Amino acid sequence: MIGFIKKDLAMIQSNFKLLAVLIVVYAIMGFMNKMDISFILPFLCVMIMISTFSYDHYNHWDAYSISLPNGRKNSVKSKYITTILMTLIVSIITIMLSFIISYVNTQTIFYEQILVTMFGTIFGTLLVLTIMYPIIYKFGVEKARIGIFLLVFGIIIIGSFLANFVNLANILESFAFLEDYFLIILIIVAIIMVSVSYKISVAIFCKKEF
Amino acid sequence: MEPVLEIKNLCKKYENFELKNVTFSLPKGMIMGFIGENGAGKTTTIKAILDIIQSYTGEIKVFGLDNRKEEKTIKEDIGVVLDDMFFPEILTPNDINFSMKSVYKNWDSNKFYEYLKEFSLLPNKQIKTFSKGMRKKLEIATALSHHPKLLILDEPTSGLDPVARAEVIEIFQNIIEKEECSILLSSHITTDLEHIADYITFINNGEIVFSKTTNELLDNYGIVKCTEKEFKDMNKKDYIKYKKSKYEYEVLIPDKKEFKTKYHISIIDKITLDDLMVLMIKGEK
Repeated sequence: MIGFIKKDLAMIQSNFKLLAVLIVVYAIMGFMNKMDISFILPFLCVMIMISTFSYDHYNHWDAYSISLPNGRKNSVKSKYITTILMTLIVSIITIMLSFIISYVNTQTIFYEQILVTMFGTIFGTLLVLTIMYPIIYKFGVEKARIGIFLLVFGIIIIGSFLANFVNLANILESFAFLEDYFLIILIIVAIIMVSVSYKISVAIFCKKEF
Repeated sequence: MEPVLEIKNLCKKYENFELKNVTFSLPKGMIMGFIGENGAGKTTTIKAILDIIQSYTGEIKVFGLDNRKEEKTIKEDIGVVLDDMFFPEILTPNDINFSMKSVYKNWDSNKFYEYLKEFSLLPNKQIKTFSKGMRKKLEIATALSHHPKLLILDEPTSGLDPVARAEVIEIFQNIIEKEECSILLSSHITTDLEHIADYITFINNGEIVFSKTTNELLDNYGIVKCTEKEFKDMNKKDYIKYKKSKYEYEVLIPDKKEFKTKYHISIIDKITLDDLMVLMIKGEK
């Protein structure tokens, strides 16, 4: 499996220059108070991970990978581990940058605010990826892009429809007692989410024929 | 001789195509040419061996082990060159070495770089900058660098220009001299195989037509070119297929010696695998 992770990292590495340039650009914008960088870099992480699927698909890597020892299992496992690894690395870079920007701009570091925003962003990133991966394994990356668009569109429509009938503030208030456990709950939900998504992807990929 | 690859009654159904009881075996240390026209079932059979397709019936044993149950063990000793399936093209040979070191227990980086040098491939260039021939050479280098006991090559010369094809065939000839591995080489370009294959397995429309030694085929089989009258005098049992052209009949016979004893036709052409394939597919019985 490590070999497969190395292959994904090597693919990502070829985008490192672009990523480094974007980090610098966004950092400068952050320093100029023009942009909140907390969600931009994890979003880039999503884009980069999805692009690895595109390259894999284009060169039929999935079929080739099965011809390698333990290929079916390792192919999926490595994708999830690389994703978590990338999300963590990018998030750590973002947190560090946010601390520096916060200090330079205000002479204060808003630890709590930055960390809460970042955990939310990491959660959001993982949510998107965990939904997307099984769809990609089932339908391929091109169809998955349309799928995720429809999914997001559907959530917005249903959300705005429900918003007419449900008072969101009341619901949030009724969960206020969980506020102290926010971080733990977020981590537990993220672990469950990734595990379920992984199991579904493995089940799809193990039955897939090329 | 114990087989490294044994396929028994392999069946796989698609909407428009079916593999029907594919059965053959590849003895240890031998090279088998797996021939048939495009869409005959060569790649499907290879995909079944490698578990790339799954819902098939029948038995596939590699090194005497079940290809599904002992998948990891088996694949440690198989090298593959597949048609259009490889590492993503933004990677470099260096990246392949970096990954493969952790994929195969026996991956030999020195050997990989020796091959790269031999094939004049730059290790730090992205695969997408390589020509088709160079790419194929890289695939071959990758397939060989973990000292495989069985090489599975699916259409390794397809789509290459004549120069690149000749180079790739030369590489195989060198491998055969240097390495001690068995090879299953599928191709619809049969001239590639005549000089290197010990066995020829011919698949047509999802069915194995024959699996014989190359010598047996080229020594015994022949083509008789004769008139309509001569053809009509022939017993159906003495030929396999025939093709009628404007002026003559081309008749595929399974045993030149026996044929000569029965008929007074002295000119029997030596057969090529191309002729054999064309007559088998297009000929009438």
